[in-house]
Amino acid sequence: MPEKKGKIVVVDDDVQLVESVTTLLESVGYEVFSAYRAEKGFDLAKEKQPDLILLDVMFAGPPGPDGFEISRRIKKDHDLKDTPVVMLSGVKKVLELGYEVTPDDDFMPVEAFIDKPVKPERLLAAIDEALESQE
Amino acid sequence: MKLQTKFNLGIIIIFVVLAVSIGSLSVWYVNSNTIREAKNRVSIYTRAAWEIHDSRVARIQAALEVLARTQSVEEILEHQGDQQRLRATQEEFERIRQEQAMDVLNVLAPDGTVIIRTRYPYSAGDNLASDPIVQQVIAEEQPSSGNIIFAQERLGTAGEGMVERALAVGQEPRGMFAGAAVPVMRDGRMVGILQMGMLLNGAVEEVDRIRDAVFENETYKGKPVGTATIFMEDLRISTNVLDNQGRRAVGTRVSREVAEQVLERGEPWTGRAYVVDTWYLSQYDPIRNPNGEIIGMLYVGELEQKYLDIRRRAVALFLSVVLAGMLVAFLTFYYLTRGIVKPVGELSHATQLLSRGELAYRVDVDRNDEIGDLASSFNTMAQRLETQRREIEQNQRRLKELNDELRTTNRNYMEMLGFVSHELKNPLSSAMMSLHTVKDGYLGDLTEAQEDSLASVAQSLEYFEDMVKNYLDLSRLEKGELEAHAQDVTVCRQVIEPVLEGLEQSLKEKGMHVVNKVPEDLVVYADGHLLRIVYDNLLSNAIKYGEESGTIELGVSTDEDEVTLSVFNEGQGIPAGKMPQLFKKFSRLDSPEHSKEKGTGLGLYICREIVEEHGGEIWADSEEGEWVRFSFTLPNQTRRSDNA
Repeated sequence: MPEKKGKIVVVDDDVQLVESVTTLLESVGYEVFSAYRAEKGFDLAKEKQPDLILLDVMFAGPPGPDGFEISRRIKKDHDLKDTPVVMLSGVKKVLELGYEVTPDDDFMPVEAFIDKPVKPERLLAAIDEALESQE
Repeated sequence: MKLQTKFNLGIIIIFVVLAVSIGSLSVWYVNSNTIREAKNRVSIYTRAAWEIHDSRVARIQAALEVLARTQSVEEILEHQGDQQRLRATQEEFERIRQEQAMDVLNVLAPDGTVIIRTRYPYSAGDNLASDPIVQQVIAEEQPSSGNIIFAQERLGTAGEGMVERALAVGQEPRGMFAGAAVPVMRDGRMVGILQMGMLLNGAVEEVDRIRDAVFENETYKGKPVGTATIFMEDLRISTNVLDNQGRRAVGTRVSREVAEQVLERGEPWTGRAYVVDTWYLSQYDPIRNPNGEIIGMLYVGELEQKYLDIRRRAVALFLSVVLAGMLVAFLTFYYLTRGIVKPVGELSHATQLLSRGELAYRVDVDRNDEIGDLASSFNTMAQRLETQRREIEQNQRRLKELNDELRTTNRNYMEMLGFVSHELKNPLSSAMMSLHTVKDGYLGDLTEAQEDSLASVAQSLEYFEDMVKNYLDLSRLEKGELEAHAQDVTVCRQVIEPVLEGLEQSLKEKGMHVVNKVPEDLVVYADGHLLRIVYDNLLSNAIKYGEESGTIELGVSTDEDEVTLSVFNEGQGIPAGKMPQLFKKFSRLDSPEHSKEKGTGLGLYICREIVEEHGGEIWADSEEGEWVRFSFTLPNQTRRSDNA
């Protein structure tokens, strides 16, 4: 097991993805906590106080807040407002957004936005970059 | 014009021509017949009139012959100096004259010298040898009779009232006598002459007798049918024609035309004559004295009205028979033509309905002739048309149902395809993630064999990913979801750059280099999202099939009508033989020698559909083994904006 690099909370409704991402992140030394619904993710983050939150946008199942909403809550939260958030989503394809999705302080105050599917190299690079920007 | 109208018009024209010709023929025939008949009759009447007049004169002569044989005539001729005997004879003869209703009765000596006159003032001693009748008796010692004219002095000596009677008719002092003279013979020797006669001027008995004998007092509409008139020369001296006041119309003269023909040429005149107030069919015959000289005319006339009425009735009868015949003929003709025209009209109506598509209509004609055949043929034809149409409609319905079914099936299929593709995306993402986590060595070093094996899995997953993406596009395309919502699109910023970003990793892996020659400010009128799908497909192909470490070039050329965009890459290129199938569904670029890369066969088909949806064209040029260039056109943006 490599040295502990930090805590990451992964919030995504896709169990398989959460598992593969968890495997990857743990393999490079992160401690990973996961949640499958947006609100649960927020609660988990409050509880674990992670170094970074990896957040999906759209969640299947009963209606509730989406990833954008949670990202705004995080930035307003006293304990979490300095925690970097990386969005990992297929929403860009689903919404057929033609332009580059860039973080926006009002709508989705996050550090990075990554399209699904993503290869490990790029995901890790984005996480590193987000953590560095926070220091 | 309707057929019936034409028939009617035709028959009416024929009938009018017939009626006019038959009518005029019949009128002409009746006319000429009645006129000929009338002329015949008037000539017969004239002969009868002569008979009556001549017999009257003959009776005068007969009476004189009887008188000539009496004792008293003999005695007076023997004893001419015996005044007493003379007076007695004169008285006796005056009585005879009056009994005979005669105006003159004279006893003459054989040389024509008057011995006794029987009319006051009984003058005697003058000689009457110049009298044509007396002249003949003296010459031939035979009785003689006829009509003669007395000159004024002769009339004056004839006795009291004679000149006055003559003058009363047309102021003519001469008189016309009808009478006779006979010789008085003793022992074969003429001893004297008896002469008797009547003055015709102003007399009525003679003409009335003629009329009554010839026409038997017949009247027509209050007028006597026949009239008779005696003319002295051209003067009417005795007649039973009444003038407007109801008096006998004497004292007038005959027309010049009649006078010339009858008095001068001695020929009878026959024709219509207008007398007083109406038309007569008339004949004028010359009256001659015993010397053959024309001294007057005998006129007989028959009322023309009678003939006119007969003629009119005949013509009317004739015409009504003709008209009745024509009416019958017309009705028959009408009935016959109606029998043809009505079913023809019915058939014509039915044909019109048929041509308007009312195939259920049938004609109701029950006949055993050609029209009946036509009607039943029509019905058969209509029946067959109707049956055929019903079959066609059934087939169409069945086809439509099948078509709808197919469409629904296709739609269901496409929806399922879309759903499946969409649902495959997430597991695919996590599979890729896990695969690469292992393959890239995050979970420990791999042997070369393990790495190769995982690379093969990765390639399969990438193909899988392409397929999912293309099937998703295809399902949307075929459901009609990918319609062009055109707007102004900045090609570089809104299309090419996002696409290149998505392909960054693949480019890096193959070490390929992109040269973008599309100007930053190029704007086209298109659907940006669809355009990205096109570029994504074309660039993915270029990466997949292009030469490793090669160059991809994005080009553009613009003319007045369109913008041509292109994607060029070095590499194997496309064999000319494969070009025609290139843009068809499920056509693949990969060849056996290129089997490392596998396409879904949908990318270029989707591109073509999108480009054509924009009104453009897509094609490929290639130098096999060297390069390939895909080009597509879009209508020039400025033009579209101007038109909008």
